[in-house]
Amino acid sequence: MSGTTVSRRSSGARLWFVVHGWLALPIWAFLFFVCLTGSIATVSQEIVWLASPAVRANAPGPDATLRGYDEVLAAVEQQQPGARVRFISRPVKSIFALNVRVTRPDGTSGALFVNPYTAVIQGEQGAFDFQQFVRALHGWLLLSGDNSRIGWYLVSALSIPLLGSLITGIVVYKRFWRVYLRPRLRVSKGRRVFWGDLHRLAGAWSIPFIAIMAVTAGWFLVRAILDDNHISISTAGVPPVVARGDVPVVAKGAPAPRITLGQAAEAVRAQLPDLEPTFVQFPSSAYDHISVGGRGAYPLLFETVDVNPYNGKVERTRRVSDRSALELVTGSMRPLHTGDFAGVWLKLVYLVFGLILTTLVFSGMMVWTRRTAIETVKLVRERKPARLGLEAAE
Amino acid sequence: MVALASPSRGASLWQRWRFHLSALVVIVPIVFTPAFFHENAFFDGKKGLGEREVGAIAVGPWSVRLAEFKLKEPDAEGRAGYAKEFALALCPACVDQVKAAYLRVGKPRNIRTMGALFSGTPYRQTAEMRIPDRTTADDELWLTLEGWDGTLHQATIPIRTASPLMAAWLEKAKR
Repeated sequence: MSGTTVSRRSSGARLWFVVHGWLALPIWAFLFFVCLTGSIATVSQEIVWLASPAVRANAPGPDATLRGYDEVLAAVEQQQPGARVRFISRPVKSIFALNVRVTRPDGTSGALFVNPYTAVIQGEQGAFDFQQFVRALHGWLLLSGDNSRIGWYLVSALSIPLLGSLITGIVVYKRFWRVYLRPRLRVSKGRRVFWGDLHRLAGAWSIPFIAIMAVTAGWFLVRAILDDNHISISTAGVPPVVARGDVPVVAKGAPAPRITLGQAAEAVRAQLPDLEPTFVQFPSSAYDHISVGGRGAYPLLFETVDVNPYNGKVERTRRVSDRSALELVTGSMRPLHTGDFAGVWLKLVYLVFGLILTTLVFSGMMVWTRRTAIETVKLVRERKPARLGLEAAE
Repeated sequence: MVALASPSRGASLWQRWRFHLSALVVIVPIVFTPAFFHENAFFDGKKGLGEREVGAIAVGPWSVRLAEFKLKEPDAEGRAGYAKEFALALCPACVDQVKAAYLRVGKPRNIRTMGALFSGTPYRQTAEMRIPDRTTADDELWLTLEGWDGTLHQATIPIRTASPLMAAWLEKAKR
């Protein structure tokens, strides 16, 4: 009978609708919180730039030139005597000051903001690092130490209902592409209609973004499980150490001869001419390398070059082409999640879609309180007699 | 037919708010904010060398300060077995003289087996020392310093002094 088929089909659609509603409903507020903090985290660096002049790279004049790494080192030594530099980061063509991580003779560490044109220390990161705070809030609920794993699992597990909501959402709303041609947001037809329209509109427009977020966040969950079981997919191998014979023996009290950072940069340029170095990591022991890295042709992944600090030989390069296909995919997950690989414009795109996703979660809850509850009751009522009928037939 | 009783006040509150309960998750970051800032300050060395300072140790012509990095039992590191992390600071006068520092359980057999290499800066460096299976609470840690002039100097620290926590853990594991 055609009547039964129709009712069964609509009952199936209704089931998907109810599943869609229930996937995120019990955790909607948590999901909302994570989406909102994640959206802010995308542009946290830019927010700091707006708020704090110390992190800006203002040129003193139109003809100012960038200082070399060795000049920066000398300037830091002059302004903070004895401080050992561990790391310098400098995004290419950046509006941001150099970030120079140092440890001082009293054992304390800090991040100094150094003007790349004048090598003047403009300020130091205080106890409240907004960028790190928002990232920790979004990624692991600010839990620290061993607890941070729990937070990490809680947040990354949200990828499951997120992916489920995306799939069931498309199943329920098969003709979502209509929204692309004729967007509809009825404001004057009551709240249920408004929130429903907004939910469909925001959902349809952000399908690719939600897919990216759900998959990359799912990878974070998988990675945590792999880490906790000591499973590695890396092909990088054991980090190289400087051979004993290369480390010079000097007379007592004499300084150990090392190459300058300029020489290291030269060695890197000879090895990988198209690499734009954005960070330098200093040797963490006498047997460690100077590590220089930056983005190459594939912007999502960093390439690194390890230089022997005594003789300037390049002893390891790690390029995009050295990675396995699996590493290319998994290594792209984090930049795809944060959107930090193509410039401020992409971060702003991520911010907008992040806020749309946040709205989606909220509107979903609003739709539920006005509709899904009723639908659930209907579905349960409808299925009960059907099941009873089946039992009777047996 | 059972007549629908009007729900009690508590039940209706539950009906109304049960799906918003996940908002309570924000309590977690609020409660853990002080711990978060403490942890950051700790990693920046603003809370001392480590969580428990062992004290100054003379090693040949030099001296170092040694500390248990974290006040906790050794970590399981998968196939590598168990490891315990220590922090070290070189004396101000020997910052430019000491090339490397190593730590291990028991006496090193030769120059290749001096143990875990400390990494960081002369002012604060850490090493994850592996704990061999046969280690007992009465064993000693051997600290080796290597000078830029090629000389080696050693000192020993009883495990009970270096980390009472680790000693207790070893005794517990033995039983």
